[in-house]
Amino acid sequence: MTTTRIPIYVSNERAFVWDVDHVATLRSEHHVCGVLSGTLPHLSQQNVFLGLPLVLMPEELVLLVEKQLATIVHDPAAHHNPTPPQLETWDASRRRGIAHQLARQEREAGRHKGEEKGAQDAVAIQKRALREARRLKLAEAEEAKRPMNTTTGPVEDHDVLASASTPVLTSLPQPLPHSNAPSERASSSPAPVTNAVYTISVPTTSDEFTWYDPALHTYETLDAARKANVWHYPVTEEDRARCEVFRDLWEKGYYMGGGSKFGGDWLVYPGDPLRYHSHLVATVQTSPSAPLRPMEIVAHGRLGTATKKVHLLCGWDSASQEVTYISVEWAGFG
Amino acid sequence: METKTHPTYATLSISIKRYPRAASAIFQTYNDLLLAQQWSEIEIVDLPTCGRCGFRGRRPENPNTRTCVVPCSLAETISMTWLKSAFGEFEQPEEVFLAINAEDSSIVYYKLSTGITKPPV
Repeated sequence: MTTTRIPIYVSNERAFVWDVDHVATLRSEHHVCGVLSGTLPHLSQQNVFLGLPLVLMPEELVLLVEKQLATIVHDPAAHHNPTPPQLETWDASRRRGIAHQLARQEREAGRHKGEEKGAQDAVAIQKRALREARRLKLAEAEEAKRPMNTTTGPVEDHDVLASASTPVLTSLPQPLPHSNAPSERASSSPAPVTNAVYTISVPTTSDEFTWYDPALHTYETLDAARKANVWHYPVTEEDRARCEVFRDLWEKGYYMGGGSKFGGDWLVYPGDPLRYHSHLVATVQTSPSAPLRPMEIVAHGRLGTATKKVHLLCGWDSASQEVTYISVEWAGFG
Repeated sequence: METKTHPTYATLSISIKRYPRAASAIFQTYNDLLLAQQWSEIEIVDLPTCGRCGFRGRRPENPNTRTCVVPCSLAETISMTWLKSAFGEFEQPEEVFLAINAEDSSIVYYKLSTGITKPPV
């Protein structure tokens, strides 16, 4: 058991986990898996290799908070408006980072050239050092000149070192007046001295921001989160039944995943879903008298049997506060 | 009232009169178990809380144990309580077979077990 509770970031009644260590703890210690849902910025359509954030099912959040394993953080409210000094500090550190990246690129480019030539004398090295220092200064001066609000997105500024006075926008590739072939264009304008491309990484968590203060927007109980209008689930009797059944299965040591592929509420795994196939497809019966059509038993039972699973009818009785189970399988005759 | 001339009418008549709403499911299931599934020693078990009778008999492939069956119609609505009361009336067997009857006389059986059972390997 971890001593500190895991923060679950809630935004628009959806529960996210943004720290990979928390994802690991949830999975290995609390057998709560969630679903990784983040894609790569350059490959947003792919869905094979997904990463942070982890999206939790509402029942998972309710369980974790009720078991005092996690807290709810109202993420949008935890981001305050930055004050001008805060923004300036942030911007300065961002600029330092970019200058650092460019300087390193320069150094590496120089080293590669040197390696290619094979021979270097002390004078050449000194000259290079001088040149690099000059370029670095130039780059910093250029950075300082740029207005703050022009660089909110990823910027590919090829000419930043070549000409200090070039405004940002004109440094983008210019469309040519005539239909010149690209090769012609490349030969007519020499390539910039350095390929000054730098990356801007967007942090996964906002912890570094001085204007981010989750402490005032953290809720340790569902009641508190409900009162603050942050998290409402479970709302209906059905929601409550789902949470109770989920908790009961979890306490029995099962792992639960989404069950839509098999027509149920959850797939129930005897261990980590990476190691086991699910044995059971569960559906929740809100109350002992909740209507159950025989057709549901046929559909669930037949699909479950065809996929080597047992269908589990999970009934929540709010009067006795008990969960009861009936397993459904095809009889094998008739 | 042609059913009265059916060979199994005499056996079922009491239950059918007691539970007219479930009559067709009772009649159809009994005949299927007896004639199509070739069960033996079929005994009628009164299930008042389910509003019908059920059956207990020996399957040809497993004649050493007695299997419990509760009939129902595809069109009716049941519940967890209903299923659990069927288990209760049969005196808590490990499994009860639910015989689901459709209007076209087709019938399908599903095996119900209380608690969480592992699927067969």
